[in-house]
Amino acid sequence: MEAKAGNERQVKVQVNHLTKKFGDLLVLDDISFDVEKGDLLCVVGPTGCGKTTFLNSLTKIYDITSGEILLDSHPVDPKKDHIAYIFQGNSTMPWLTVEQNVSFGLDIKHVPQEKKRELVDKYLEIVGLTKYRKYYPKQLSASMLQRVSIARAFATEPELLLMDEPYGQLDIELRFKLEDELIRLWEMTGTTVIFITHNIEEAVYLGEHIMVLTNKPTTVKQTLQNDLPRPRDIAAPEFVRLREEVTELIKWW
Amino acid sequence: MKKKTFNIAELICAVISLAVFFGIWHLGTRGELGKLMPGPLPVIEKFLQTLFGGKIGSSTLIVHVAYSLARVMIGYFIGAAVGIVLGLSMGWSPLIEAIFAPLFRIIRPIPPIAWIPISIIWIGLGEDAKIFLIFLASFCYVTQNAWSGAKNVNPEYMNAARMLGAGKSRILFTVVLPASIPPIFAGLQVALSSCWATVLAAEMVRSSEGLGWIIIAGMNNNDMNQIMTGILAIGLVGMMLSTIFRKVEARLCRWNRSEN
Repeated sequence: MEAKAGNERQVKVQVNHLTKKFGDLLVLDDISFDVEKGDLLCVVGPTGCGKTTFLNSLTKIYDITSGEILLDSHPVDPKKDHIAYIFQGNSTMPWLTVEQNVSFGLDIKHVPQEKKRELVDKYLEIVGLTKYRKYYPKQLSASMLQRVSIARAFATEPELLLMDEPYGQLDIELRFKLEDELIRLWEMTGTTVIFITHNIEEAVYLGEHIMVLTNKPTTVKQTLQNDLPRPRDIAAPEFVRLREEVTELIKWW
Repeated sequence: MKKKTFNIAELICAVISLAVFFGIWHLGTRGELGKLMPGPLPVIEKFLQTLFGGKIGSSTLIVHVAYSLARVMIGYFIGAAVGIVLGLSMGWSPLIEAIFAPLFRIIRPIPPIAWIPISIIWIGLGEDAKIFLIFLASFCYVTQNAWSGAKNVNPEYMNAARMLGAGKSRILFTVVLPASIPPIFAGLQVALSSCWATVLAAEMVRSSEGLGWIIIAGMNNNDMNQIMTGILAIGLVGMMLSTIFRKVEARLCRWNRSEN
């Protein structure tokens, strides 16, 4: 993940000395790391270690106390940069239909009508919601809602996609299905993804890299490269070994 | 099919309940009580007789209804428009909230009819004073609901819009405003009832037409039939307004219906 001199891959995100305090409470303590373009980075850590704070600081939902976050070598700015965020809870707009939700980001970015229709159709098809395009969120199940969020995020063709435990509230079958869907979209689009999760198996299943955070005040404990071939088998000995390695790193007891 | 069955059952229940109500009223006013209060038949007869043809005072019943409705609608819509703008602004901007919230908190608990003497002194006995009172009745409820609606928008909606590149004004118009529509509608509905009650009070003070005047003139002339005709008209118009309102709300907020 770290971009060293001589590496071929381009650095997409640079986080330098990121520190976040809430009053006197130090939550993120001088965090520095790089994310390569096209990477799928999973961030794991103990419960309550500040994973969401970490992502919200990255995206400037929270003002950071010190440090800098660069996207393509300039300070990150959600208004100018193509960033999408999939939240833990349902963030689809209840007053918009499925297709209006998917085109919401495209409207903001003033994408021409023709191109917008094309993108909405494409991503509704990919997430399997074409026949539900006129439905309102209240008429959909939890997994369908999360798929709307995924389609909305990918439709803007983001340079950086941030996901905050997006499958945390879904049952295991749906989670597996949506994890595969994410991998398919990521492989298809080459978007850089930062995926926060507390589920170690999910991190090993999805990530190209796995970043392990410590307890508060949070720092980066270690970043592991995950070269397991795809599609990954959660029962394969290499998978189990890596999962155990991450579990060992995360242990605070 | 299920929906149709339910509607028929609902209609039968409504007919039975009205028949029982009018039956009790009819039987109750056949004896001694009939000297103090007319039965339903003379009231309905007077109602139908004066609706378009016979006059109460200088106008037919429908003209009195039109006077009251016009007063309500003018005051209601001005109050609602000001209330929506002020309420959303207070919910959206901490500065506007800091300026207007203390004043609003003082004005809100004052019932509109408490303003009657002041409105007469300030504005006089004409139409403006009545519309001012109705404005107050509408404004307070709508402002309160628009304010709390805008303040309680799910932050994830706003964060999602912000992350997709939306600026402040875009978030206000595409997230805060639509998210606040259900509470605003709840405020509009309560405001409409309050305006309807206020116009009657205002017309009772000084007026020569309107449903409030029908009742007060009936009392002055000891004409119970006229009083009951006015009350019946108030009930029917209120019911019609409420039905129209529910239809509009169902259309504009169909995304929020629980049966969806």
